[in-house]
Formats: sequence, structure tokens, C-alpha cells
Amino acid sequence: MESIVYGIVTASIILLGSVGFSMTLNAENFINIAHGQMLLLCAYITLFLNAYMSIVPAAIIGILVTGVFGVLFYKVFYRPIKKRGAMVLLFTSVGLAYVINGVVGTIFGTTTFAYKIPNVKEIIPGMTPYQLLIIIAAICSTLFLHYFLTKTKIGKAIRAVSENSDLAKTRGIDTKRTSNYVWFIASSLAGLSGVFLGVIGSIHLEMGWNQILIILAATVLGGLGSIYGVMAASVVIGLSMELGVLMIPSYYRLAIAFAIIIIVLLIKPDGLQSLWNKSGKRVA
Amino acid sequence: MLTGTALFLSSILTLAAIYAVIALALNLEAGVDGLWDLGVVSFVAVGAYTYTMLTVSPASAGQSYIMGFGLPMWVGVLAAGIAGSIVAFLIGKPTLKLKNEYFLITTFAFAEVIRQILTNERWLSNGVAGVYNLAQPFKTYFTPSVYPYILLLLLVIIVFIVYVVVHRLTYSTFGRSLKALRENEPLALTAGIRPDRFHIRAFVIAGFFAGTAGAFYVWYSTVITPSLFTSDITFFVWMAIVIGGLANNKGAIVGSVIFVLAGESLRFLDLGSGFAVRMASMKIAILGLILIAILKWRPQGILPEKKVKFSNSSKNS
Repeated sequence: MESIVYGIVTASIILLGSVGFSMTLNAENFINIAHGQMLLLCAYITLFLNAYMSIVPAAIIGILVTGVFGVLFYKVFYRPIKKRGAMVLLFTSVGLAYVINGVVGTIFGTTTFAYKIPNVKEIIPGMTPYQLLIIIAAICSTLFLHYFLTKTKIGKAIRAVSENSDLAKTRGIDTKRTSNYVWFIASSLAGLSGVFLGVIGSIHLEMGWNQILIILAATVLGGLGSIYGVMAASVVIGLSMELGVLMIPSYYRLAIAFAIIIIVLLIKPDGLQSLWNKSGKRVA
Repeated sequence: MLTGTALFLSSILTLAAIYAVIALALNLEAGVDGLWDLGVVSFVAVGAYTYTMLTVSPASAGQSYIMGFGLPMWVGVLAAGIAGSIVAFLIGKPTLKLKNEYFLITTFAFAEVIRQILTNERWLSNGVAGVYNLAQPFKTYFTPSVYPYILLLLLVIIVFIVYVVVHRLTYSTFGRSLKALRENEPLALTAGIRPDRFHIRAFVIAGFFAGTAGAFYVWYSTVITPSLFTSDITFFVWMAIVIGGLANNKGAIVGSVIFVLAGESLRFLDLGSGFAVRMASMKIAILGLILIAILKWRPQGILPEKKVKFSNSSKNS
């Protein structure tokens, strides 16, 4: 039972991180390695604010600031070189990942931190209110994102741009505006994921790198760029990482995630989305 | 003071030479051929461990690792290269037919899995404790004070040899076929170039040189632990070839030297004790900025790829 709870919590955190990653992958067509460091950035901003205020306002400010950082990074680093192709963008994001990681490390050092949060009792056997909160937040974010992408005008515009940005432009969609939304939402979701990681575990400099690997795993398993596929994949990976620990030593948690993607790639290179999307085309 | 600086300089140039070997290997598969390999460190790690396990004496009390045959070093280096090739073949066979993005992610994942195995399987290679006091080549013939320069000289010779081999490969029919595949795969197909065969060959050759680089890395560090082989190495080598100029072999060497010098010269900054631990973080932030700046203002690198012009010989004759 405990493992299942842990699995769902892990899945929720992976989901929050990888949905944003998939959105940027769709919208800009490149693998944003720096996405993992957005988790780290938000976790540390929240840590800094947590010294002056309680965790909830600290996290909210941290997430909004991270969202703004995401938009800024896009405007300063990615948009000017967008025409140079996916390779240049990818390595710019690697550079940016090192910059974020390095700056945070220079300020905070290599110590492992934890948030100041009140101790709480289990409400349901095997589940703390924090875990419940994480699961609820993940579900709400998923529902919100679904509503946003399918019902609002700007959400539909984002999907149109992801599908075919030239066509979207000729139809009068302001692609700069949709990009700002994409990067804000993606980065703040990453930020939320980073704060949750800090709440259930600890905050350290490696968390961004560890998490981007799992996010990549979820993205491959879901099918590159498929947001709903990635949601399903996060659940599969989260659960199998935590349940796998029952059979395999716990230090192989990450290896389990990778074993899954390696197997999936060999059998079904288009990922989970190909199960319901027979045409093999990418979906939003 | 002067000898201290000279020693320090020779030490970082040795490191740069090792990076140059990996960079030349990566340049062949990623620059000349267009493979997005984010797992080149796996060849280095496997090569380094193969070399160590074959050349050290059997495990003493309190240690545990397999083999320990105490074989000569040149056998170890050769075996390191072969082990690198075998790993490249095993990884490449199923993944090379995937799209670029998937290939990138899988190679990244493989590198991480290999490091986890090395970290956790203590019977295999003594786990996180690693193996210490490893021998260096020709060490007994020289006094310890000059030895660092000898090692540097040896590695410069090795870089030169690898450069000549990779350079010849680049400008051979094989290298031109790889470039054709990189530039226009359907067109290359019509010219009878089979992508699967050429990609795997490039990958296996890169695996060989990166594997030997693992052995050289052991010479340099004299210790081996899994923490030496994080994905940082992959990214650092990529940075080196992007800085130097993708698909230019001289660029790979120049990039490696600049990259290592830029990173290590920060040590000369004296910011007081207590800041030392944060120095590593500052170093990677600055390296990241250099990479971003190069990509923005000089995306073809310091030494761009040379376009080869073929004279039309039939016209001349």
C-alpha cells in the first residue's frame, strides 16, 4: 500500500515536470535540457523565501518567478537563434542548464537542504497530507491544462502552432504570444514539481539532472510531444519505479525508468500514444 | 613557483589531450556523421574499467572486483578500445534506426544505467570505493618530478596518432559517405550508401577511440571510481567540439584545449578559502555561458568545417 502511494506521488511529480517539457518540445521542436534546472531553480527560490515566510506563499511566489524566468530565458536565449535548428537550440539549452545549475550552486553551495514545513500526522494510513496535496495538485493541473488547451482561445492557438506554426501564422495567430504562454506554463509546472520534490525529499544540486532524465524517459514512453501520452507514461514510470523497488534494490530506481524506455523504444518507438493514435501522427 | 605553474599547466594539458581523444571520436560520429550521441561517456567508462580490471593485480582483502590479471598496459589499452567498440555495437544495433531525438535520449539513458551498475555492483568493480594507486606508463624510467611532462608528451603523441587516423577516415570514401548521409539521407541512399551499415561503423569506431581514452584517463587520474564518469563528460566533450567547430578534427583538439584551460584557469582566482567548494559551480556556470555565446555568435565554432572541393579530373585529362 505504501509503495502504491509513493508510486502515485512520484508519478504526480514526474507528470508535472514532463507535461511542461512536452509543451515546449511541441511548440519549439527541440529538447530543452534546461527544463530540469527549472525544477531546481524553483526549489531553491522557494527555499530562499521559506526563510522569511511559510512554505505556501513562498512556493506560490517561487512558481510565478520561475514562470517569468522561463519566458525570459526563451526570449533571451532561444528565440534569437530559433532559425538555426534543433541542434543549436539543444546545446544552448545544455549551456543554460549549466549556467542555472552553476549560479544556484555558487549561491547556495553543495549542502543538502530541506524546507521548513510543519510536521503532520498521517491522515489515511500510509499517506500524509503532503502526499495527498501533491496528488490533488497534479490532478488539478492536468484537468486545468486539458481545459486550457481544448476550450480557451489561447490554448487552441498553442495547439495550432504546435501542429503547424507556419499555417498558424498565416491564419493570424500571434506566435510570440502563444510562446510566452507555453514557456510560462511549462516553467511554472516544472517549478511546482521542483517544490514538491523538495517537500517529500530534499533539495540538492543534482535534483535537476536526475529529474530531466526521468522526464526524458516519460517523454519517450509517452511518444515524443504527445501531452496525453506523457501523462499516462508518467503514471507508468512513477508506479514502476516505486513498485519495482519491492523486487530490485532501491538504488536502481532510475535504472528501472531507463530499462522501460529502452524496451519501449525497441518494441514501439512511437510510445504509448500510438496505442490510441493509430495514424502514428503526433498529437497535442 | 615557476615549476609549480609548469606542473599545473602540464597537468591540465594532459587532461585536455584526453578530452581531445574523446572529442575526436565524438566528432567522427556526431560531426562527420550526424549522430546525436549523448552517451559517449559510456564508452569511456567501459574502456577505463576494462583497462583497469585487466591490468591491476588481483583484488586484495577488503576489495572486490573481477579479473585483475595484471596484463601489460598495451593489452589493456587495446582491450579498452575493443570493449568500447563492443558496447557501441550493442547500443547502436537497436538504437541507430531510431530518429535523432530518440537516439539522443536512449544513449543518454544507457550511459546513466552503465554508471549505476558500476556504482552499485560492488563485486564487479569495487563499487563507489573504486580502485586506487593504479600504475602509470613508463613511470619507473623517470624521476617523479619530470614524470608529468613525460605523460603529457605521451598523450600528445597519442592525440596526434588518433588525429591522423580520424582525419584520414574523414576524408576517405567512408567519411564522405557519412557526410552524404548527414546532409541528405534519401539522396545518399540513391547513391547506394546504406545508412544502417555506415552509422554503425562510425559508432563502433568512435566507441573504440573513446574506449582507449578511458584507459588514458586512468593513467592520468591513477584512480577509478564511477563518479568520474558522469554525463558531465559527455556534455563537456560536446561543448569542446561545438566550441572548436563541429566536423573539424583540428577544431576538436583546439576546442578541448580551450575548454579545459577555460575551466581550470579559474583556479587561479583567489577568492579565499570557504569559496573553494562553490568554485566548481561557478566553473560550470561560466562554461555554460561560453557555450551559449559560441552558439549565438559563432555557431560554426572557432575552426569551421572545411568544404572539400573536388576538381573534375575527367575535364582535366
